[in-house]
Amino acid sequence: MSNTDQTTLAATQSGRPPFYRDATVVKWLAQVFTLVLVVFALFFLTTQALENLNRQGIEIRYDFLGIGLGSDLREGIDTDPDTAGRALWAGAVNTIRISLGGIVAATILGVLVGVGRLSRNWIVSRMCSVFIETIRNIPLLVQIVFIWALVATLPNVELDQGPVNGLLHLSNKGVSVPRLHIDDGFYQWLIFLGIGWLVGSLVKRRQDRRHDATGRDTYPVASFVAVLAVFGLVGWFAHPVFGWVGAIFDFIGDGFSALTPPVVQVVLSLAALAAAAWWIRRFLARRRTPAGLMKLTDDDRFRIIFAGVGALAVIAFVLVGWPGLSSWIINSGTDLLEVIADKFGDGRTGKPVDIKAPDVEQLGNFPNPGPAGLNLTQGGTAVFLGVVLYTASFIAEIVRGGILAVPKGQTEAALAVGLRRVTMLRRVILPQAFRVILPPLGNQYLNLTKNTSLAIAVGYSDFVQVGQIVYNQTGKTLEVVSLWMLFYLACSLTISVVVNFFNIRMKIVER
Amino acid sequence: MTVPMGDPAAAAVDPAEAWAAEPEPAQKPEEPSLSMGEWLGRNLFSSAVNSLLTVVFSLLVLLVVRGLLNFMFSEERTWRAVKTNMRFLFTHAYPQDQYARIWVCVGAIAVLSGLSIGLLARTGAGISVKKLSINLMGTGAVIAVGILLREPSAVVDGEGMALHRDLSAAAGDSFVDWLDANAFAVLGALLLANLALAVWFNFQGTYLRAATEPRIAHGVLVLASGGVLIVQQYATGEIVRESFADAMSDRAWWWLAVAVLAGAGAALWFGLGDARRRNTFVPAMYVFFVGAGVMVLSGWVYPWGHYAFLEGEFIAEPGSTVAMTTRLPWTVMWALLVGAFMLGRMLRAARAGPKLRVPLNLLWVLTPFVLYWAVLRDPDLDWDHVLSTDIPMAVFFAVFGGLVVWYLTHPRIGEAGRITAVVLVAVAVLNWVAAYFDWYAMLQKARISFLLLAVVALLAHHFAGDRSQRMKLVAAWVGTMAVLHWMVTLVNSPSTVETPTDALIGGFGITLIVAVFTLLLAFPMGVLLALARTSNLPIFRVLATGYIEVFRGVPLITLLFFFTLIFNLFLPQNMSLVDIAGATIGFALFSAAYLAENIRGGLQAVRRGQYEASDAVGLTTVQRTLFIVLPQALRVSIPPLVGQVIATFKETSLLAVVGIFDFLRIADKVISAQSEFLGVKREGLLFVSFIYWIFAYNMSKHSQRVEKRLGVGER
Repeated sequence: MSNTDQTTLAATQSGRPPFYRDATVVKWLAQVFTLVLVVFALFFLTTQALENLNRQGIEIRYDFLGIGLGSDLREGIDTDPDTAGRALWAGAVNTIRISLGGIVAATILGVLVGVGRLSRNWIVSRMCSVFIETIRNIPLLVQIVFIWALVATLPNVELDQGPVNGLLHLSNKGVSVPRLHIDDGFYQWLIFLGIGWLVGSLVKRRQDRRHDATGRDTYPVASFVAVLAVFGLVGWFAHPVFGWVGAIFDFIGDGFSALTPPVVQVVLSLAALAAAAWWIRRFLARRRTPAGLMKLTDDDRFRIIFAGVGALAVIAFVLVGWPGLSSWIINSGTDLLEVIADKFGDGRTGKPVDIKAPDVEQLGNFPNPGPAGLNLTQGGTAVFLGVVLYTASFIAEIVRGGILAVPKGQTEAALAVGLRRVTMLRRVILPQAFRVILPPLGNQYLNLTKNTSLAIAVGYSDFVQVGQIVYNQTGKTLEVVSLWMLFYLACSLTISVVVNFFNIRMKIVER
Repeated sequence: MTVPMGDPAAAAVDPAEAWAAEPEPAQKPEEPSLSMGEWLGRNLFSSAVNSLLTVVFSLLVLLVVRGLLNFMFSEERTWRAVKTNMRFLFTHAYPQDQYARIWVCVGAIAVLSGLSIGLLARTGAGISVKKLSINLMGTGAVIAVGILLREPSAVVDGEGMALHRDLSAAAGDSFVDWLDANAFAVLGALLLANLALAVWFNFQGTYLRAATEPRIAHGVLVLASGGVLIVQQYATGEIVRESFADAMSDRAWWWLAVAVLAGAGAALWFGLGDARRRNTFVPAMYVFFVGAGVMVLSGWVYPWGHYAFLEGEFIAEPGSTVAMTTRLPWTVMWALLVGAFMLGRMLRAARAGPKLRVPLNLLWVLTPFVLYWAVLRDPDLDWDHVLSTDIPMAVFFAVFGGLVVWYLTHPRIGEAGRITAVVLVAVAVLNWVAAYFDWYAMLQKARISFLLLAVVALLAHHFAGDRSQRMKLVAAWVGTMAVLHWMVTLVNSPSTVETPTDALIGGFGITLIVAVFTLLLAFPMGVLLALARTSNLPIFRVLATGYIEVFRGVPLITLLFFFTLIFNLFLPQNMSLVDIAGATIGFALFSAAYLAENIRGGLQAVRRGQYEASDAVGLTTVQRTLFIVLPQALRVSIPPLVGQVIATFKETSLLAVVGIFDFLRIADKVISAQSEFLGVKREGLLFVSFIYWIFAYNMSKHSQRVEKRLGVGER
């Protein structure tokens, strides 16, 4: 005991503790140890999987995406896809479609219910809170299945009901509503709208300045809308004027297809390096004070190393890991440009947008909602209503919380200057509440998108359900699950980027 | 004055309202009592817009309530399907002759809950007698309306033919005919009259300033709108219903329920006489006990579920029926719950609360394991193996580990302790490396115990203390070893209870079990992840952040598919996971990511000064985290944690999608496939929603109360 005491003492006197008690060393040892453990665990699982697959004679390959798929999808952009890849694409579009529609509908409903819950009217606020408390305490899956069972009890669709029995076509086959059909000259018309937007913004800025200068009401927003409307109206008829835009894209496409894979590889590698260098520079710049560079902590060093290693990993991946990447980029880029060139191409003289009403058509022995309207099958209706109601109940609570978070003085001040209640809500309360609401709202959008995957319980052809069809037919479970995760991670990332963008824009600029 | 708390919209008092409110004398602040008319004027008809909203929403409420009640009470509904399958819904294929095991589990939970509530729950304010009696009478009224409103559409006669109601032929009552045909016209006229009145009020100045009579007229109009609907429904419904004696006799029971509820409510209201006594509060627990008691009692009076589904035959007569087999056990359960509660209160009176808190919590943690593996599974122990291997090994680890703990927690252990710990860690790691390269054989539980010991040894010096402190640590270690080895033995023994599925139990049972085990697994993971994510050690932080973001970014269903379909591919050849275990792991990994985010919020709420103070008194990082930071952080994050518990509970319904016979799947797929109840889905689903709702709603209400209490008590 005395011996150890003496060594400790000696170590303390020498200024630095022995290495096994040096906080920095121990910290890094623990971290590296954990990292090794995690890496080993992943390595172990992967090797086991490869071994097991080998034993069963299965390889992990993604070429099943090009193989034909024997079954139809219930709905989507392509109900009879040629390949598994095409089917998955249709499923992804279905997921995105129902998520976007759901986000819009849930936001509207949620805000209404949330505001309604704060209403002075007893019965309105009571109903809203009953709605919230009922919906959010029942599992979403149960609700979806229940709505599905309810839709099943709607009357049968019959042939003589078409083409339109009202604008809403409700039957046990699902729901059909009118839709906007993007017609021939839509993209040329878009150019008109784009120019209108630019001009409108200029006009709005000018009106804003005049308002600031003179204090008179100059209706900036109204004039913006008016300019846009004028351009839209003119473009509705004059859009064939822009037939030549397609040629520009043709030209760019030609240039793109002339690229060779090594060029793309070099460009990608340089881009990775540049990104890392830019990041490190910015990072160091933030650590710089007038007195010179601040002392870097372990953490900082790690971040810099991490950025460098990341860039190297990207380069290795581009050069060695997936050599086909560059030719894939060239091919798909060329294809994309071709499609765009075609859309903007010459000779498109039809109406830009058309409205189509629901109809009924004979498919096999059964009448079905026809392709003209916007259709949601039984499953689609169940998923859509389910996620909208469920998410709306959460959004309502968030909205209520946000409104309550606005200081009471704001309400009193707004009423004191004689604003009407609605104006006060629109102009004073909601803009301030929005800042509090936005981050949790983003989470709800994320949840909604993920929750659409419950479609699998009612057979709506979303990405997960199509994936299940694919692996049932091809046996490629592992690959499909990996595609699922990648797809949803990409969706989550997109949503959080968008929400963050607005979050930063909405932030109060403080001194 | 009547403004609900925290309601800015209401707080901004309308000038008219202020005018109306001012001359009134100051009321008692606790319970401002308004006359009916005043209350209506204040809350429903304060302005023209409000009146309109009231009318529109009242109609909406009526329609919704009517639809729901019609749905529930319609003769078309086959509630029999739910009643008959009650056992199926709650336990799936658990063998009937072993059913006593389930009752033991329920009883154990009842006793524990009763004890905990009695011992630890504060009495607090409960429900006021006034509210209670209003609620009782209201429930009675809703049931009464339900009986009146139910719509006998498509009643099936003896030959299975649907008897569509033919009003014009059957009625012979011209008023009914007229009403049925013109119901919407009448409603429309009433609505228009309402509108006109509202507009007129608007011209007259604000509503409240108008004389009393127009307001009464307005109220009458609103009531009339609803009345038309009710009368129309009742009148048209009655015609068909009268010919069905069955419906009448069934209805008699409902009327009895109405009478009991309304009678109890009225007795409370009038029995207590004056308003002040009506405002006394009854503890919520007592109300619950009485309510549960009445429910249990009703089993002895009303023939609940006099149905059995035996060998494909539907039997509606007494015999081995659900009601017969459950009313006695439920009565016992109720008695156990109340008895345990009383015992808890007695112990509380004896001030045993603080002492019993820790053992009680421990029991709560252990209960799920014991109930599942020892009671429900009824393990078939191989006594030879237990005596020759399991017990000696457990004793060895208990004694050896206990000595190590005793030695290492000595306050002046110094370098020797560190060396010992490092050696133990090296041996523990070596065991696993050896397992990978197949150097020497060792039981898996020995490796785990060794690893556990190594971790404890590494952390031991943070817990150094005096004799009693060290004794406690040694006891904790011995207890852990005993439980761990006993559990491993139980898990390794085959079950004597045979069921046709992978899962021992299905239905609501599996829902609860998966939820509980998910949380038990996810909570420690969540704490560790949150600590790692907020730590200033970069690798830990990156790993934790990556984990959390990935698991929060993918839908739960894909994780469940991964763990039930292909996770076995990732395991060594001789290992495999059954579906239910895989699903639980999937749930746990997913919940852990969310729990970690909740706890991170709590960790960030701990003030900087707490860290600095604990550094200043010389605590180590481990001590600071365990004794200073985590207790505060967890306290702050209780509300979101409860939210996550509710979410997990609701998410367990996803088990149905991956092919496990849970509550939802039975209601959705199984019952509707039985030949008697072909296609009967909605009843079961409504029942499932209701059960989920009861649990989730009560948990969320409770968490709101806790939140409020924490908010008040905070600093």
